[in-house]
Amino acid sequence: MRVRALVVAIVLGLVSPRLLPGLAAQDVAARLTGRVPPEVVTTVNGIAQDAAGRGLPVEPLIQKTLEGSAKGVPADRVIAAVRTLASRLDESRTALRDAGIPAPSPAAVEGGADALNAGLNASHVRDLARISRGPYDPAVTLRVATTLTALGVPAQRGLRLMERRIQAGRGPNDLLDLPNEVQVDMAHGASAAQAAEALETGAGDRDQPERPEAHPGQEGEHGQHGDHRD
Amino acid sequence: MTKSYQPEIKRLLDGELSLADLAPELRAEGEEALRLLAAVDRAPVTLPPSLDARVMQSVRQHAGSPARRLWRRLAAPREVELRLRVRPWAVLGGSLAVAAALLLLLARPQAPVPSGPNVAFVRFVLYAPDAKRVTVAGTFNQWDQNAAPLTPTGKDGVWVTTLEVPVGQHQYAFVVDGQRWVPDPAAPGVDDGFGRRNSIVAATAPGARIL
Repeated sequence: MRVRALVVAIVLGLVSPRLLPGLAAQDVAARLTGRVPPEVVTTVNGIAQDAAGRGLPVEPLIQKTLEGSAKGVPADRVIAAVRTLASRLDESRTALRDAGIPAPSPAAVEGGADALNAGLNASHVRDLARISRGPYDPAVTLRVATTLTALGVPAQRGLRLMERRIQAGRGPNDLLDLPNEVQVDMAHGASAAQAAEALETGAGDRDQPERPEAHPGQEGEHGQHGDHRD
Repeated sequence: MTKSYQPEIKRLLDGELSLADLAPELRAEGEEALRLLAAVDRAPVTLPPSLDARVMQSVRQHAGSPARRLWRRLAAPREVELRLRVRPWAVLGGSLAVAAALLLLLARPQAPVPSGPNVAFVRFVLYAPDAKRVTVAGTFNQWDQNAAPLTPTGKDGVWVTTLEVPVGQHQYAFVVDGQRWVPDPAAPGVDDGFGRRNSIVAATAPGARIL
């Protein structure tokens, strides 16, 4: 009898993970338990299960919950923020699909949600995703757009600047440098919009991906973040 | 209870200075320290004859403790006879299950080999001259405000740390004195959904960027 039970257990152990994708939801609860109040675990777990069932990434929802708890935010506000984020993830994925990406990556969906949170709208996300083809990963271009907007660059101007660079055939790394370039101009007294406009004007003219020589000392001005890796 | 003496008093006790060498305001304290030192009994210590017996008795009690006896039982090798009664179909089923497990493990798609490093080092800096403790929490450390303390660089109020973070865009904030959440004034910020601001930084393969 014991052997029979053992065999059944082994077979179930092999098969069940493949038949029960909802196990991922247990992971969500496990990640949250002990760090957030039990009622938040239950509610967020439900939101995450729903999101996972619709193919949305759940990691951002976990992170938002942990963040709210760490900051001492009341449970109802944490749950509200997680619901808002889940809604943005959904909106982001819809915009990406509208842009012709039938199965956007979780990183792209999350990048779109962050862009929406930063102040872009669904049309911006869709338009940016449309031009993010080939070597341009929509997850990356959306992050660049998010950062430009966070710096104060008007959304439409930031998009135009990125579009100009892409159309000029500049590499993805050149896009990644855009926020730094804007910050350098801002450090010299320009507003974010002025900096973006100046870069847009010269966006197609420069052949080298490096930042313009007109901004010496920018390394020192951005020294607060790491500049080395393994 | 201990008492702290002035360095000069300690030098007096060490014989490096005399009372006359001390400043007038320290002499009374020096004299008191010398009196205390003189009062210490420096006679040789004589151990009672029964001490050896008491020590050995304690050692024997410890050696014969139940925990130690239990450990000896568990650790001592012994012969065990194991008899199993199984049905042939159960053995066959178990073998098939093990074989299926091996097949599934072997057929599982291999994890893709990363084309480049998937982590980057990011240096975080905050100027907080009045802070007693500064940490940084964000999506790279599950918002654990105790996971990444910053170190003061000196007396100028600058706190720094360098963290290895996964490649990608991260949100973060500094935590000052365990209570105050402060966005990085040198980095772009976004609404955190709770009425505050988070800073954002991107760790990319070529290195961290303001992204």
